[in-house]
Amino acid sequence: MTHLVLDKVSVHYDGQPAPAVENVSIEIAKDDFVVLVGRSGCGKTSLLNVAAGLVEPVRGRATIGGRPITAPGSDRAVVFQNDALFPWLTARENVAFALRLRGVRAAERARTADDLLALVKLDGAGDKRIWELSGGMRQRVGLARALAAEPQFLLLDEPLGALDALTRERMQTMLLDLWTASQVGVLMVTHGIDEALVLATRIIVLAPGPGRVVWSFETGFSRRYAAGEAIRSIKADPAFVAARSELTDAIFEGEAA
Amino acid sequence: MTISSYTERPQRSNIDDGADALSVPWSRPPPRRSRVSARMVSAITILVVLAAWTVSARLQLVSPVFLPSPVAVWNKFVVVARDGFVDATLAQHIAASLWRVFAALIAAVFVGVPIGLAIGVSTIGRGIFDPLLEFLRPIPPLAYLPLIIIWFGIGEPSKILVIAIAMLAPVALSTASGVRGVSKDRINAARSLGATRRQVIRQVILPSALPSILTGLRIALGAGWSTLVAAELVAATRGLGFMIQSAAQFLVTDVAVMGILVIAAIAFVLEFIIRRIERVLVPWAGRE
Repeated sequence: MTHLVLDKVSVHYDGQPAPAVENVSIEIAKDDFVVLVGRSGCGKTSLLNVAAGLVEPVRGRATIGGRPITAPGSDRAVVFQNDALFPWLTARENVAFALRLRGVRAAERARTADDLLALVKLDGAGDKRIWELSGGMRQRVGLARALAAEPQFLLLDEPLGALDALTRERMQTMLLDLWTASQVGVLMVTHGIDEALVLATRIIVLAPGPGRVVWSFETGFSRRYAAGEAIRSIKADPAFVAARSELTDAIFEGEAA
Repeated sequence: MTISSYTERPQRSNIDDGADALSVPWSRPPPRRSRVSARMVSAITILVVLAAWTVSARLQLVSPVFLPSPVAVWNKFVVVARDGFVDATLAQHIAASLWRVFAALIAAVFVGVPIGLAIGVSTIGRGIFDPLLEFLRPIPPLAYLPLIIIWFGIGEPSKILVIAIAMLAPVALSTASGVRGVSKDRINAARSLGATRRQVIRQVILPSALPSILTGLRIALGAGWSTLVAAELVAATRGLGFMIQSAAQFLVTDVAVMGILVIAAIAFVLEFIIRRIERVLVPWAGRE
């Protein structure tokens, strides 16, 4: 099975006195949902950008299926916090963007895009312009656009960060549905502790100065959702509540250090 | 007794409130914060200027040679439109000038947009073109007009070239600033979807910069009209700038004033058209 591997990666930006990330190793399988949490400046986004091929590590290496990652590629589609959609295109054309780059024919492009829009529950919104959509809808178009590239891994950089709490909660279950349906590995950055617990199969806690892993643990809540349990009942589980306080402690320990 | 007093109360209040009792408060239009709009003030300003002009001309405060009356200017407009001035009708003067300005605009776009793109996306491009544009930008057209005539003669190409040079900097610099302003996330998203560098430039950067490029065209048109008179200084036989200059040389001030107003009107119409084009081409500008 294809793995996305960050092996003893260090990131040091030009002109910065200290490295942003030091000696971090992460391995993601295709059925993993790995969530990076931690305070601002702990290098979460830097790590995600290394995996995306947007940032080159100064030490260590990033590989996908054994091949080194040197540039961005459609096997690792990125979704950003600010949807980064193209406002001159309709929702459907945005989703079809990756297909157009590959020279897929227009009719087939539209069909695939409409299927993906239906998958993110935006049936019939294909002709809408981007500015006519709400924040949550835009983010769903962004997800559909990333999935259209048929990636092996999705890299999500705080994709729900700009949404209101209710939309955010609905988007979390949608993310899980997409993850279950599309068989992609996910690496996601978030600030939300509940969000991390609901979504992740593995949570990695990072601490700043320089960014490093302080804790990494497996969680089973998202697999329980995938098996059919309701999200409310998972969140009400004492095990969930215990895990939340444990995770909070881990993040704050990182801060104290 | 108690029942009747219950039924009476709302009736009385109905009478007291009159018509207002029928309309609930939230159905009323919101109170207008201000009764003066900028548009109204502008209209009044124009009317006041026109009135002052009419009165000073009527009272002969200034000699008509220096300041012809609005009526005289209007009459001249009608006469020149029908019979022409210095061997061409008004329409022919306008056509000559419009052709020069638009030919120059097209040339400026074909040269300026690629230069702006080069400045925006590549360090080498910026290194090459930035100093050249900064050198060209502040030079007044009248300064390089003689040189251009020496180099390219007194024909039509020189006139168009003078206007195009004045338009080049606004087009190129607006394009460059639009290109540099493209969100990094947008470019990175496209790259992660598999776009090559060429695809990123053509399918992401250029459309993103389009609002800025259109703003550049608007500024360039303004610069073009201000350069027009200079361009038509030498060896022109038609054109609004030429018409104004010949009129001024023979002290036909009513034609000169009329020509100025015609240029202003054309510039106004063009501005309006470009704003329309913007609304069709880049409806997302300012809405993201």
